[in-house]
Amino acid sequence: MKSKILQLALFLILFVTASCEKDYTVEQNPFVIAFERQSIDFSTIPDQREMKLIFSEPAKTDGKISIKLSGTHASYGVDFSTLPEAQGGVLELPFTKGQSELFFTFKNLIYPFDNDEKSILMEVIAINYTGETSIQGYTTSLVSFQRSLGATLLPEIGGPNQGNQIFVDLSKETMTSSRRDVWDLGFYSGDQFRVTINGSLYMAVKKLDATNIDAVTPASVSAFQSQVAVGTFDPTNTNYVDAPNGLINQTAIAEISANDAENNVYLVNMGYTIGNTTPPAGTVAIAGDARGWKKIRVLRDGDNYMLQYADLNSTTHQQVTIAKKPDYNFTFFSLATQNVVNVEPQKNLWDLCFTVFTNEIQGSGSYGYSDFVLNNLKAGVKGYRVAVTSAVNFNNFAMANVVESNFMDDQRVIGAEWRDVFTGSAYTDRFYVIKDTDGNYYKVRMLEFLNEGGVRGYPKFEYKLIQ
Amino acid sequence: MGFKLKICSGLFLLGTVSGFAQENDSIVPKVNKLDEVVVTGQYNPQSVKKSVFEVKVITRADIDRQAGNNLADILNQTLNINIIPNASTGKSGVQLFGLDAQYFKILVDNIPVVNDEGLGNNTDLTQINLDDIQQIEIVEGSMGVDYGANAVSGIINIITKKSSQYKWEVTPYIQEETVGKEYNFADKGRHIQSIKIGHNFSDKFYGNAMFTRNDFKGFWNDKMGENYVNNDGLRGYEWLPKVQLNAKSLLAYTTKNYRLFYKFEFFQETTDRYSADVQQNFDPVTATDNPIAKDEIYSSTRYYHHLNASGKLSENGLNYDVSFSYQEQTRDLEKYNYRIRQQEHFGTEKLEYESRKVYYSKGFFSNFLKNETFNLQAGYEVNSVKGYITSLAGLFNGENIERELNSYDVYTSSEINFNKHFSIRPGVRMLLSSKFETQAALSLSAKYAFDSGYELRAIVGTAPRLPNFDELYTYMVDVNHNIQGNPNLNPEQGKSIFLHLKKDTKFNEAFSMQNKLSGWFMDVKDRIEMIIIQQSPLVYQYNNIDVYKTWGLSLTNTAQYKNFTGNFGVTFSGISKVLDSGVLSNDDYLYAFQLNANTSYTVPKWGTVFSAYVKYNGPQYQFVERNGTLERGKQNPFTWLDATIKKTFLDKKLEATVGARNLLDITTINTTATEAGAHSAAGTNILMGYGRSYFVKLLYKLNM
Repeated sequence: MKSKILQLALFLILFVTASCEKDYTVEQNPFVIAFERQSIDFSTIPDQREMKLIFSEPAKTDGKISIKLSGTHASYGVDFSTLPEAQGGVLELPFTKGQSELFFTFKNLIYPFDNDEKSILMEVIAINYTGETSIQGYTTSLVSFQRSLGATLLPEIGGPNQGNQIFVDLSKETMTSSRRDVWDLGFYSGDQFRVTINGSLYMAVKKLDATNIDAVTPASVSAFQSQVAVGTFDPTNTNYVDAPNGLINQTAIAEISANDAENNVYLVNMGYTIGNTTPPAGTVAIAGDARGWKKIRVLRDGDNYMLQYADLNSTTHQQVTIAKKPDYNFTFFSLATQNVVNVEPQKNLWDLCFTVFTNEIQGSGSYGYSDFVLNNLKAGVKGYRVAVTSAVNFNNFAMANVVESNFMDDQRVIGAEWRDVFTGSAYTDRFYVIKDTDGNYYKVRMLEFLNEGGVRGYPKFEYKLIQ
Repeated sequence: MGFKLKICSGLFLLGTVSGFAQENDSIVPKVNKLDEVVVTGQYNPQSVKKSVFEVKVITRADIDRQAGNNLADILNQTLNINIIPNASTGKSGVQLFGLDAQYFKILVDNIPVVNDEGLGNNTDLTQINLDDIQQIEIVEGSMGVDYGANAVSGIINIITKKSSQYKWEVTPYIQEETVGKEYNFADKGRHIQSIKIGHNFSDKFYGNAMFTRNDFKGFWNDKMGENYVNNDGLRGYEWLPKVQLNAKSLLAYTTKNYRLFYKFEFFQETTDRYSADVQQNFDPVTATDNPIAKDEIYSSTRYYHHLNASGKLSENGLNYDVSFSYQEQTRDLEKYNYRIRQQEHFGTEKLEYESRKVYYSKGFFSNFLKNETFNLQAGYEVNSVKGYITSLAGLFNGENIERELNSYDVYTSSEINFNKHFSIRPGVRMLLSSKFETQAALSLSAKYAFDSGYELRAIVGTAPRLPNFDELYTYMVDVNHNIQGNPNLNPEQGKSIFLHLKKDTKFNEAFSMQNKLSGWFMDVKDRIEMIIIQQSPLVYQYNNIDVYKTWGLSLTNTAQYKNFTGNFGVTFSGISKVLDSGVLSNDDYLYAFQLNANTSYTVPKWGTVFSAYVKYNGPQYQFVERNGTLERGKQNPFTWLDATIKKTFLDKKLEATVGARNLLDITTINTTATEAGAHSAAGTNILMGYGRSYFVKLLYKLNM
């Protein structure tokens, strides 16, 4: 009996031992070489351009890649050529062990351009390499005079302090950067007379009863100061910030009236400087020191704005006339440097803006967000979010899937709901459709918001033209 | 010398019996439980029967039958205690009367043992190894007078072995366990190796040393381990793997009138925390990814030195017991990024995560007057705890917190034996500290022994709980948040009243029984909770605000009949929380009950003991906020059932224990009793165990 029990127990253990082996060798990617860019604007190549190929990992052995060149209304040696030279329309490029990128020279032979129907398609057709290879990813690159087919971009918002506002033009595949603390007020260039405040610095404003700016003193506003701020968790504090949906008729500062008596003085919380500390990896340090308080009053001056501004304790004020710039959404002004400053590109030359942003949490009021993405609603860029389903995904989403009625009158189509700050990942269950200022439809998916070392403030996204 | 006398003459009962202690290591079931000797809260070690306190004892034999390696292995089966494993930190927390580990103390040989978050409290039960211990004593209720701050819900005192009847004792063992269904030699299961050597250098001088390695390979469940590349939550382990190394030694010098011992312990634990979150780093250019995970290795190292002298100054003179101790425990963190496909570490950062360094001394003196009816004990307990916590461990405004807390306590109590029936023991302790206002702890215990064999005990006690670092030093103030600790917090105030009615019945030589009915009431006032101190702008701060109340009844019964012993217990308790901190609160009592039973049957002819342990944890309720209203959340009931067989071979030299833990295969328990956090949803189930598992332990005893 006793030995039986023992034998049984031992048997059970042996049984369990034998039955639960797991295999966990790590799967590897195939070796891939692909074009850095899917499409290149011919008009940006007056003479020649280095074409870059990217390796999925440093090559473990020597090898060779073959690229086929085919022109449309363009022929090799006449309209374009390459260095090294192609043989029979195929360019062969050797690489050596340890190499992780590769260049060849594309020469434009038709400058000044004669015909904008000319294009050249370059295509990876073979990778000779010992080890598993695959032709995948950006396998082709098109040099043409057409809009961008899409790209993978890494807007440089400045790491965990997120000091930059990055304006992206999808169809031109360009990015423009501006420090987010160079401006305080934006004067709308459209039909209305409206003034926006810099939400990326967490500014807030409150309309005062006074119309005489010199009569406003620290004592007359001190009762409001704890309230006129972002993130106080008072639901009514949204009155002190611009409507986060981006609609110009919902700014915190009321429309500037032609009747000066209706233009009150505003108490201005200048928000915070750009943070300069290095927070733990994965987190942000957006806000630095408080930038203090100002008072302003804005009047009309014909088709221009007249800005009066002063420090809170000042009994006099400065006055400056600010003109509208019709090619731009706003004319930006810095109270700090007392200058008109350049911030956004022309309104038709940007679609998305990566920036810190003052959003709201329903029921809790304004709340400062990092990693925010805005669409240029004021210039008519609209979009909507698409949920990934078993039928619809980023890759198969086509023009037939676009639903016009879904486009939103809101600049927060992408917003901050694209990343999970707790897991450090971008959500993969959603992507976005963006209709740009030129009427192009792009699908956009967010990929990362941390760099490889886990540091915040390194967004990465991919977009593709929907055709 | 009868067996009973042998036990009483053990080392713990100082100065009464001369010569070398005859204590037997393996108290086999024949021991009459009624004569257990206890140390906790006593002037001198004495029998349970005499004790004014009510002390629960878990004997070495109990531990051996369950093949318990650490405290968490054993306490699962104890009434009023709930072990809460934290699979994501690898720690095991514990609740006593529903209060967490901040409210009770773990002591080793009467002094609190350090861990990386505190001294005595906040102990991770898996870090307390049991291989060199004699018995575990549990006292429920506020024990502030005898054990100082944080002994609110009770104390667990672990008494180590300090003698042997053999000149040489060499005891190696190996223990192999499955973790649920998982087991292999490489990366699954639990593997324990241990060796202990004891030696009597002379009839006065005893020493021992032991080394144990406990390699817990983690609970995989559906998780895929370290080298899994997808970001679907499956990377890592359900329950973190960890390796523990433990080396301990003891030197004891015992004479007729005093004993000196020095005890040393080195403990190291390494826990691998593999993140379930994988940063995919998909690159559309090559359509390949480069998955990276942020992993962490925590390693805790503890050093423990304890020098103790006890005895009496002369044959009938003053008794003393004085301890000096230095202890430290440091938890280090190694953070790194792991490039999974390449199996490569980068961005490695090493830092001290948390630590406690403690200078400690405790002494008590009794028998000032040579008097049968009156005894007075006076004692002191002083310690200096240097605490450190990195800014990464909490919201400390990016600052590492380093603080020193010095405590100077004095206490006194007296035991008055009015007659052989009635004795009382009033006590008081003053707790002075460098940080908090002077606190007082009070106690009053009384015992009445009826002629009919009934014993009635009443024990009233108080103890404060000191605020922790989070409560004192949290500071997170930014554009969107204002959450602050409160350096001006006062200690929480705990108070308990226990009544125990006990009856021992001996029907004949073969059959005896003990029955005990207990009732208690306990409350903790000035509980510290985070509250809103300003609505606009919103400001949170820790404050002394809430009240916690619990009462209960329990009935425990023990019976011995020939080779059979059995225990059966049931407890019924209610908890009420007065949450002035909450917008919504309900202070109705919520009731729960627990039931435990164990039995063992010895077959002397075979050298075999069959044992079974069962504990039923009834449903537990808690008020939780759901969509703006308070609801009564429920945690489903569950039962722990363990069974073991222990058999000796080769003239008792070889001891084999085989068994099964968690026979009912408990893993997760459904619950609606958890609240959603600020940035997280309410859980729907909690992990309680890793399912049915089996073990075999082979122990060899070489006694010369």
